[in-house]
Amino acid sequence: MDAFETALIRILPRLRRFAHGLTRDAADADDLTQRAAERALKSRAQWQPGTYFDAWAYRILRNLWIDTARSRQRRDKVIAPAEDAEAVGAPGDAEAAAERLFLMRAMDRLPDEQREAVALVMIEGLSYAEAAEVLEVPAGTLTSRLVRGRQALAKMLGGVNDG
Amino acid sequence: MMAEPVDEDRVIAWLDGELTPEQAASVEEAVAADPALRALAETHRAMRARFAAAFGGIADEPMALPSAEILPFADARARRMRRLWVPGAIAASLVAGLFIGQIERPAGVADRADALALAPGLAHRLDTQLSGEPGPVRVALTFRARDGAYCRSFTATHLDGVACRTSTGWSLRYAAPGTASGGAYAQAGTDPALAGAIAAMIAGEPLDAAGERSARQRGWR
Repeated sequence: MDAFETALIRILPRLRRFAHGLTRDAADADDLTQRAAERALKSRAQWQPGTYFDAWAYRILRNLWIDTARSRQRRDKVIAPAEDAEAVGAPGDAEAAAERLFLMRAMDRLPDEQREAVALVMIEGLSYAEAAEVLEVPAGTLTSRLVRGRQALAKMLGGVNDG
Repeated sequence: MMAEPVDEDRVIAWLDGELTPEQAASVEEAVAADPALRALAETHRAMRARFAAAFGGIADEPMALPSAEILPFADARARRMRRLWVPGAIAASLVAGLFIGQIERPAGVADRADALALAPGLAHRLDTQLSGEPGPVRVALTFRARDGAYCRSFTATHLDGVACRTSTGWSLRYAAPGTASGGAYAQAGTDPALAGAIAAMIAGEPLDAAGERSARQRGWR
């Protein structure tokens, strides 16, 4: 296994977590992760050694997600969400999976630009500078999307789990 | 010294560790002095912790790289049915060859040379065990797929799935991380995704005990 594959395999679990922050259920998240991994392998010539690999990989997944947004919405209209499958399918206990699905659905109600900022910083734990690099936006833009997204989420979740 | 005004942006940046020590100290001071600001900080802190708890575990599950040979995209329904990313450790222990974290479309796919041949131990149990027999592997259901192959749904320590008998042995057609390791054996078939995969594959009714015995006798051919 070469350096590229090592780096990719190392970040895959985090890509998958990021995908869970962007999509509305675990099946979509795994699909997106799968496609991002495939795309990364195919595009490996575009990665320049020495540059920040993680940002490159996150960006691939994020761009795929944006690209499929339209077909995603179309598909959601014709295919009933597999609600029941989610709580059962994830490893760990069903309660944890249900909680995650609940939060994914809350994230799903955010505008895309806020959702991706929140997913990168609050779920992935990237710094503002790293997240801005992934999304290729100025730091100020990232910060304002992040704050608006967090405010909206806090409002949505407010009555459910008071801290 | 003039402190900068502390607003929600500032509080969030503070919680995210984005401030210099001096800035952080001034936010801390302001939060301590202002109950409204304190409540705001607590809301965002709790939310951050809640997301960390809910999503953190995902990043701990090891994964395998997809193989160079990518399956063609199935239709949306089939895509939603297949379960991806069986963790790498499972792949290593149960599946011979390169496990690509991906399973075949539920029905009608020609088996390839690199299809997911099962490790000998598991394959042997699928060869010999009847449905419902206790053991480290439990077979829940035996049925014939639309392509005529005998298929069996099973629960093993780390892997639940459906395997079908081909000319070269048992190959995995559906897989999900095991439910049996928690102690209580889940009745295979209660997972809706598994049930969906079986429904898409099955031709007719599942075999009864007599049918299963006779299929075993014929070597599942």
